[in-house]
Amino acid sequence: MSDDSLTSAAAPGPDDAAPGRAPAGTGVLLAERPMPGGSGSGTWSLGWTGVRTVAVLELRQRIRSTRWTAVLALWTGVLALLTILVRWAVHRIYDESFDGAGLAPGADEAAARLADQVAGRLTFGIIVFLVLSLAGLVSPALSATSINGDRQAGVLATLQTTLLSPAQIVVGKLLAAWATGLALLAAAVPFIGWIYLDGGTPFGRLVVVLAVLALTILVVCAIGLGWSAITARTSSSAVLTYLTVAFLGPGLPLLFALSVPLVTENRSVAVRQQLYTAEGAPTGCQVVQEERTITYTNRSWWLLAASPYVVVADASPKPLSAEGSDDPMSVIRDAVREARLGPRFPLEECYGDLARSQQFDDERRAQRASLGVTWPYGLAADLALGGLFVVVAVRRLRTPTRRLPTGTRVA
Amino acid sequence: MTDPTVPRAGITARGVRRTFGDVVAVDHIDLDAPPGKVTALVGPNGSGKTTLLLVLASLLVPDAGQVSIAGFDPVTEPRAVRARTGWMPDVFGTWESLTCREVLLTVGDAFALPRAAAAARVDHLLELVHLADLRDRPTQVLSRGQKQRLGLARALVHDPDVVLLDEPASGLDPRSRIELRGIVRGLAAEGRTVLVSSHVLAELDEMADRAVIVARGRTVAVEEVAAAAQARRTWRVRALDLGVLLAALDARRTPHPPPDRDGVEVELGSDVEAAELLAALVRDGVPVVELAPASGVLEQAYLALTEDRR
Ligand SMILES: Nc1ncnc2c1ncn2[C@@H]1O[C@H](COP(=O)(O)OP(=O)(O)OP(=O)(O)O)[C@@H](O)[C@H]1O
Ligand SMILES: [Mg+2]
Repeated sequence: MSDDSLTSAAAPGPDDAAPGRAPAGTGVLLAERPMPGGSGSGTWSLGWTGVRTVAVLELRQRIRSTRWTAVLALWTGVLALLTILVRWAVHRIYDESFDGAGLAPGADEAAARLADQVAGRLTFGIIVFLVLSLAGLVSPALSATSINGDRQAGVLATLQTTLLSPAQIVVGKLLAAWATGLALLAAAVPFIGWIYLDGGTPFGRLVVVLAVLALTILVVCAIGLGWSAITARTSSSAVLTYLTVAFLGPGLPLLFALSVPLVTENRSVAVRQQLYTAEGAPTGCQVVQEERTITYTNRSWWLLAASPYVVVADASPKPLSAEGSDDPMSVIRDAVREARLGPRFPLEECYGDLARSQQFDDERRAQRASLGVTWPYGLAADLALGGLFVVVAVRRLRTPTRRLPTGTRVA
Repeated sequence: MTDPTVPRAGITARGVRRTFGDVVAVDHIDLDAPPGKVTALVGPNGSGKTTLLLVLASLLVPDAGQVSIAGFDPVTEPRAVRARTGWMPDVFGTWESLTCREVLLTVGDAFALPRAAAAARVDHLLELVHLADLRDRPTQVLSRGQKQRLGLARALVHDPDVVLLDEPASGLDPRSRIELRGIVRGLAAEGRTVLVSSHVLAELDEMADRAVIVARGRTVAVEEVAAAAQARRTWRVRALDLGVLLAALDARRTPHPPPDRDGVEVELGSDVEAAELLAALVRDGVPVVELAPASGVLEQAYLALTEDRR
């Protein structure tokens, strides 16, 4: 170190002979370095290299922690187990019910094929909803402690004092969390694909399901990120993220159910009633005005629209072969659309008139089919919510800061 | 920023105040750190040093006062300040699973440095802080002192003009401290502005050119270390024969308190007086072994100014 300019100004270090020390204080000076001048904090600047720096940093950290491999293995194991169980159970039920039918040999085969298709669709629906639910449970873990965890570990300020903008930090973290979530989804694809190959599921449904799953994971990650920027404690942000996800998934349908009293009214409405002869035999039908309790679900159905379960169900194409609603997705889709149509007047109570009744059902089905899709709005609402959380997170990361979350230190 | 009284380089802080709720962390601090000099920031625990450094590092908005870093205002021009400032926090957290080299390269990326240049500089910095052997180890295995050294390297990755070091010596072994001193002097010799907060006053004597002493969030004194060395202070004299030494001192009418086991303390006005006393004692045949300041330059100023801590 004797040639070292810095040591000439200081007491000789004890390791003067250390070989290979480059000269000059901090050595290799940078020939060029970005020298932003002037004003502006650049909070929202979103240069890609900065985003990538943060995302790579996050992914490296996550992949190298052994926990992550364990999570992936556990996730795959649970999915495999569930898929095998559900598939076995569904096929058992259908095979039995069709075996007992005792049909003619040729018809038997056609019926068996139909049974396979129905079973395939049912299994597909169950597995997709399971994956969606599990993704809702696992994804918050990817981002819900991301920002306050970094703050606690004392590494957030390290990033904030660089040229990275708050938006770059947030979006980088979001992309890393999303990529991890997509890895979980990718691990689920073989199982979903296996069920798909069982038959009965239209290809479009497979694509839609995967796309909606991917976007739902993105939204959940954004919600987690937002809460982790808002709260100081990682436990609070985790709980709040789970609550928000629970609100979206099962919570909104529950809210819809609870809102029924609010949209229920006693009204005098037209009712088509059965007429009877003096002996009590049904004769014809007649429309009368009567006081009835009517639930106007057409006023509250939109509560359902943003639930990811409804989005996935509404977005899936209907199986061409299927007449009725025999799989979970079609059931949900038809139920939501029925709620959207609301009550129809005159109320149909002339049950003796079978032809009329059939006509009524057909009209209703045509109406349902002609309704515009709701899933783009539901999905847009979810994405908007995710976007809101991202914006909140970015605003929370702006420095220099005026107020700190109570009980935290910057460093 | 056009105020001619504010220098273009270095750090100036005027009347900085920062509160957290009803806690006044920094009350009123004035501070100047000129380029090419090492300025020490000393004060008792809780006197607001870390908070002030956070304001300077563009992490906190001051409630009042003006700050200029290399000619830029951290509140309105944080990016300009960050590009020129290296900040080493007092508790340095790292990304645990990244290796030392990756940590520094990531910071280089975050400063948008050209890759090749950054890599060369990172390798050099790892040599400088003696972490070259550990460059490919994850930072979670580093000892406290090693982490501290990595923190120093991290603050220097982007070749900053202004360096803010918050207790850089804490946790360092004696050899690393001596090297830290060398690095810090080297930074100043390269024309950078260095502001160091530290509690190790003896070390600052050799490292710092100036010291800003703060207490209860206020600047209480600014000491030029060289000038402070000329101030009146206590020296300690030791001789092989204590009796002869005491007799010689009494003969010269140098006042002194009762001696301890092997030496005695005397009050001297300056280094010149000390040199004179030494010459006289040697002339008188006193077997002097040691004549040295009883306490550091800053230590005395510090102890006189800061009696309370919180
Ligand atoms: N985020 C915060 N919220 C509330 N009070 C705070 C916060 N940060 C600092 N303080 C208080 O402000 C005062 C100054 O703290 P600071 O960390 O700046 O002291 P310091 O001079 O660095 O002390 P030390 O020498 O122990 O490092 C302390 O009383 C501290 O309790
Ligand atoms: Mg401190």
